[in-house]
Amino acid sequence: MAQVTDSRSGRIRNAVGEQVRRTRRFVDETEPAALAIIAVMALSLFGALVGFLAVSDWTIVPFAAFLGSSAVGWVRYQEETAYVIALMMTVSTILILGLIVVFIFRESIPVIRYESATVFGITVPGIRMFIQPEWDAVSPPIRYSMVPMIHGTVMVTLIASAVAAPLGVSAALFLSEIAPATVREVVKPGVEILAGIPSIVYGFIGFTVLGPWASDQFQTTGQGSYLFVGIVVGLMALPTVVSVAEDALSSVPESMKSGSLAMGTTDWQTMTSITLPAAFSGVSAAVLLGVGRAIGETMAATVMLRGVPRLTEPLVNVFYGQETLTSIIARNYGEADGLQMDALFVAGVILFVTVLVISIGAQYIEWRMHERLGGEI
Amino acid sequence: MAGAGRTDTRLVESETTETDAVAGVAVGLSAVLFALAVAALFERVSLTGSLFGVPTVTLLGGLLTALGVAVIAFGVGSRFGYVETNPDPSAGLIAGFGAAVPWVLIGGSVASQTLGLGVGVGAVAGVATGAVAFAASVLPREDLGSTVPLGALLGVTGLVFLTGVIGPTWVWELGWAQQAAVTAEFLIPVSTLFSALYGGWASAKAYGGFGARGRHMGAYVLVYVNALSIVAFLFILVAFVVVQGIPGLLNGTEFGFGTGPTTSVFGVSVALPVSVPFLMNGVALFNDFQGVLPAIVGTVWLVVGAVVLAVPLGVGAALFLTEYADRGRFTQVVEVATNGLWSTPSIVFGLFGFAFLIPRFGNGKSLLSGMITLGFMLLPLVVITSREAMLSVPDEYRDASAALGVSKWQTIRSVVLPAALPGVVTGVILGVGRIAGETAPILLTMAGGTFVPGSQTADVIGGFQFTSAPPFVANPELLQATSALPYQLYALITAGVGASSNVGNADEFRWATALVLLVVVLSFYAIGIATRYYFRRRLKHT
Repeated sequence: MAQVTDSRSGRIRNAVGEQVRRTRRFVDETEPAALAIIAVMALSLFGALVGFLAVSDWTIVPFAAFLGSSAVGWVRYQEETAYVIALMMTVSTILILGLIVVFIFRESIPVIRYESATVFGITVPGIRMFIQPEWDAVSPPIRYSMVPMIHGTVMVTLIASAVAAPLGVSAALFLSEIAPATVREVVKPGVEILAGIPSIVYGFIGFTVLGPWASDQFQTTGQGSYLFVGIVVGLMALPTVVSVAEDALSSVPESMKSGSLAMGTTDWQTMTSITLPAAFSGVSAAVLLGVGRAIGETMAATVMLRGVPRLTEPLVNVFYGQETLTSIIARNYGEADGLQMDALFVAGVILFVTVLVISIGAQYIEWRMHERLGGEI
Repeated sequence: MAGAGRTDTRLVESETTETDAVAGVAVGLSAVLFALAVAALFERVSLTGSLFGVPTVTLLGGLLTALGVAVIAFGVGSRFGYVETNPDPSAGLIAGFGAAVPWVLIGGSVASQTLGLGVGVGAVAGVATGAVAFAASVLPREDLGSTVPLGALLGVTGLVFLTGVIGPTWVWELGWAQQAAVTAEFLIPVSTLFSALYGGWASAKAYGGFGARGRHMGAYVLVYVNALSIVAFLFILVAFVVVQGIPGLLNGTEFGFGTGPTTSVFGVSVALPVSVPFLMNGVALFNDFQGVLPAIVGTVWLVVGAVVLAVPLGVGAALFLTEYADRGRFTQVVEVATNGLWSTPSIVFGLFGFAFLIPRFGNGKSLLSGMITLGFMLLPLVVITSREAMLSVPDEYRDASAALGVSKWQTIRSVVLPAALPGVVTGVILGVGRIAGETAPILLTMAGGTFVPGSQTADVIGGFQFTSAPPFVANPELLQATSALPYQLYALITAGVGASSNVGNADEFRWATALVLLVVVLSFYAIGIATRYYFRRRLKHT
């Protein structure tokens, strides 16, 4: 055990030492004037960030200093300035993700504290949002339960995946393996354009055409059903599944497919026994990403659902659509303040964390696939 | 022996053409049923009416039964050697599951509802029926296994329609706390649709003579139908919006010199020769025709702001990651972070903008907050596509440049960036198309009223002012709530009936807004895709 810690701390020390050496080499090799300008750039940008976070009116001053010093650096020491600016931009990309995490978590803290409950003698903050299904922001007792919205999101996502996964994988197979070149040139941009149709347009068509039709067909009171929101969201997630799955399928080495075809198999046999198994992890990553898209889809759900945060009765009643995690935010941000607004942030946190986990999972799967096929590409 | 072989071949050939024709007719029949089912689903064909002098439901039932009989006949004929095929010993597990699913549904609902035995018995009966169908598919030789259970399914569905057990007025009350029912209007087209798909699958397998070739045929039919449906869906969707939107868009349009509003081009004031009030007006009491000009201008500024923020940041980050940084822990973290950002739901960006940007820009919704929020959304896409474009620049280019003795930055600037430019541009244009249609992030950060007067059209360039107190530069136009097309459409939908009092025909106004939004977004996509083709062709030629 001690040895492990030793070797780890040793490794860290080595890495740090390497970094220090590299920095020192950079400092040694760079002219002092260039170094000074880089220092000014870094410090003033940092100052601007601090000022921005502290809501200061003076933020503009360090920012102007940054712009000025970069301009000078660009003219005199382009090489070093370009490097430093590129580095800063990389850091800022990570910083933005960090800021999103910090700010949406911070805003959700009050309501998590409010919704504390005692379970088995232990007080757990926020747990009451998940153990009872009551959302009532108006009349006491005021409760902000996430259960109805989670139920809605799960229903919509399940239906959407049932639509998007088979159709998407089949379309990806078509595009990458089956379609003749000319057909592919038509269908592929078509799928991309499908991804481009704004979600509010889908929602509008769903609201004006699909909603009344569905409530007529299923004789429901009022319109808005998880079934049709799920189908629409599934169609919206379809292009994601198609394009990621197609990438995975076409990354299967041609030599594997030719080998199989040389054995006298049909194209379809090659697909089912060589291409799909080899690309299986990539295809499942595609489905995962599609699921992530479906979870995060907002506007179509907001417009098509009823906007009453409660569970459907019975739970499997897909012909009624109440509210999802995304739609409750879009619908209630206007009149919400205080705790209710914070409760919306909790919905945001749940969404963010779920989708981030899915995204990282999908990336891990893709990475594994790449490692496995890596040698042969 | 050789002579006998020749005779055999000839026999087989002549038979094959006939049986091919039978199977081909079955495939065609499935296609007709598929089309009829879709037409009925969209209420183009009335279920209560009649087609070709036959009541629609009876016609559907008859066709389904005929298809079922044809499929079974083909399978049985093949089993007893009347038809020359080369089937496998078993139809396989996938075919088994495919056949089991509809039979589970039929068995379950007949037992629980028609016979009234309750949910528990229904579930057991459903599973039992499914198991029988599964066994019937998997156990016998492939020619029987892949035709009989599916043919029986078609036959049963067809007979149910033919005998009127499920007629056009049939309703199944689900008896749930929240009232819902399955009606014939839904059930008949949907079950016909799926039956037609199964029929097409089975008869395509038969057409291919079962075995590997048959499965190939069956699968290809389904895959082609799927691809065709997706393309058809896209066309119908766009065409529908266009047809609905055109009247509202062209309301009060005039052509001819001097009809349009005057604008100044290079200092010369010119009256446009065309007037489209919907695109050139705001909403005001005394307007003859109302329009969405402020929303269009708002969208344009949003896109400009987001691009100005995201493109330098994203390209810079991609540059660092591909050219400067060694592949290691750091680049991996950045990659995971950008991909994570890319899949973050748009509404979460909205919440973030609400919590982070709004308090910092005058405590109210503003154009600037909207720009920055959308910029953050665009950023990961720019990083990802630019990185891909830079990685695809061959290393030989870099080596050749480095061999000339120039510095790394000079190589990047004069070799890598120009070579990666097409990819970056295409990626940015497609990304812009995406954010231009986003509603959720600007809902919380930027969007103002439902009906915006033309006088509130954002004039960002004219809005800059310099002040003596910090922050020294002010632009009230940037700090004002304004509208954008996607938000405008959302607001119009939620405004409901109340919208009519402002804009005359609210429905026309909504559809026209949707059309303008669609045109704006799709034109970004069209430009992006065209750019890609252009560069790809140029790369091929050189």
